[in-house]
Amino acid sequence: MDNHLVRFDGVHKSFKGKTAIEDLHLYIRRGEAVALCGGNGAGKSTLLRMVAGILRPTRGSISVNGHDWLENRQNYARQIGYMPDDYRFSPGLTAMETMLFWARLRGLGKTRAKEVLSMVGLSDTGSKPVASFSKGMRQRVLFAQALLAEPPLVIMDEPTNGLDPFWMNTFVTLVHQAVSNGQTLLFSTHQLEIAEALADRIVFLRDGNVILDRKREDIHLTNETEGMQQVFRELFGISGGFSRHEDKL
Amino acid sequence: MSEMGYVAVREMKIGFRNPWAYSFMALFAMFMVSLLIINSQGYVSGYSGTSGTMLNLALYLLPLMALMLGSFSLTAEKEEGNWELLSTYPLGTWSLLAGKYIGLSIVLLSIVSFGFGLSGAASWLSGSGFDFLTYQQLLVFSIGLSLFFLGLAMLIGTIARNRWQALTIAVGVWFFAIIAWPSILIALLGMMPYPWIKPAVTTLTFLNPAELTRLFTVVKLGGGSTLGPEYYNWMVWIRSNWGTPVFIGVMLLWIGTMLAISFGLWERGRSRG
Repeated sequence: MDNHLVRFDGVHKSFKGKTAIEDLHLYIRRGEAVALCGGNGAGKSTLLRMVAGILRPTRGSISVNGHDWLENRQNYARQIGYMPDDYRFSPGLTAMETMLFWARLRGLGKTRAKEVLSMVGLSDTGSKPVASFSKGMRQRVLFAQALLAEPPLVIMDEPTNGLDPFWMNTFVTLVHQAVSNGQTLLFSTHQLEIAEALADRIVFLRDGNVILDRKREDIHLTNETEGMQQVFRELFGISGGFSRHEDKL
Repeated sequence: MSEMGYVAVREMKIGFRNPWAYSFMALFAMFMVSLLIINSQGYVSGYSGTSGTMLNLALYLLPLMALMLGSFSLTAEKEEGNWELLSTYPLGTWSLLAGKYIGLSIVLLSIVSFGFGLSGAASWLSGSGFDFLTYQQLLVFSIGLSLFFLGLAMLIGTIARNRWQALTIAVGVWFFAIIAWPSILIALLGMMPYPWIKPAVTTLTFLNPAELTRLFTVVKLGGGSTLGPEYYNWMVWIRSNWGTPVFIGVMLLWIGTMLAISFGLWERGRSRG
């Protein structure tokens, strides 16, 4: 039995002749937490947006839990929860109204909407306009909506952007809970400490190609105390470590 | 409630909390009441100078309002990333488009109704006012115009990449369909051989919802004689028992076509990714 929840079979994506993802074969098991790492323009967001059903591969196929977007979009959408990187909330709606709208589209009600807002510590701010929230609060709302229907696959694009250290820790706890509940995680991050904290497996991308795909503990075994930073320096030829969290704000 | 309903409710909430909607509402109401004051000594019945002025007022303001509110609503979804996020939900493109159209229609019709309601109440209180049928016909004209151009706005919002593009296209459409239309029509018809004029008038009128609605309303108000001999057949069918049902049918077909084209373009964008 195929234990792979997500399959990227020969996926190739190009935009106006420029290759973003090149002949990718990537398979993610159920219950795995996979981090996509790499520099700007490596193809991380493109890959996530393809598996989220926002972009179509130029060639190849992507399936989640046996469902292909091209065959049945609605069934495919039920397999995923997506947390985007770049998103602006509509003015005029409160956090609760926004979450309730998303919940209703997933066949859920007010109870679940309140529950996810409470999970991310926003139960007291449900009646406030979400457009007035801080960056970190907006990230938490976006994370909550990705978990609404407890989908088999949770896709997150730079999920910790704008989170303060307290919420970073809480976020890590919530993600571990989701994984222990059997959900599979696929996320991109510039922050290697987040990849180390969350991921079972780390995939490094460069120019649309996978250049390293290894379990987290194997990276540490090979590179001892320097771990991820050493790998990043070797792969990308950068000295002095990775991009700092503050640079992303 | 269906997904379309949820989208419509969301659209109404955003629309009624949008300051633009209240600006338009205030503007429209102010013009309606001003017109009433100008005609304070008279009683408006049928097609007259006052009802003609009200037609023109609605013709200038309502299409622009519908085009801007509708197209901005769709392009905002693209600019803000909401369209991409909703693509990951089990929500069909048709549910999104139709839901937005319904929600925005309710907001627009509320604006129109408020303007008419205020002027109707003011006229009743002041003792001068409208013959009820005339008032009703002007309200129907305004509603029809709003719904027509909202359909067009959905297409503009689909084509435009951002709000600036949407604004440019919307103003362009408004200019050609409302401001420049009479001059363009006269110029085009003047260049045509005589036998082509009637078919051309018919075709061009059906292609411009503002002109179609205006003609329908003028004839219903009894002002058909001002239109000229080329419009004789129009007067006959509008005044017949089939006039209103056919007009409503044409309106639904027009709006349906705009939404169908929008749907096709959105779907093509989704499948090409």
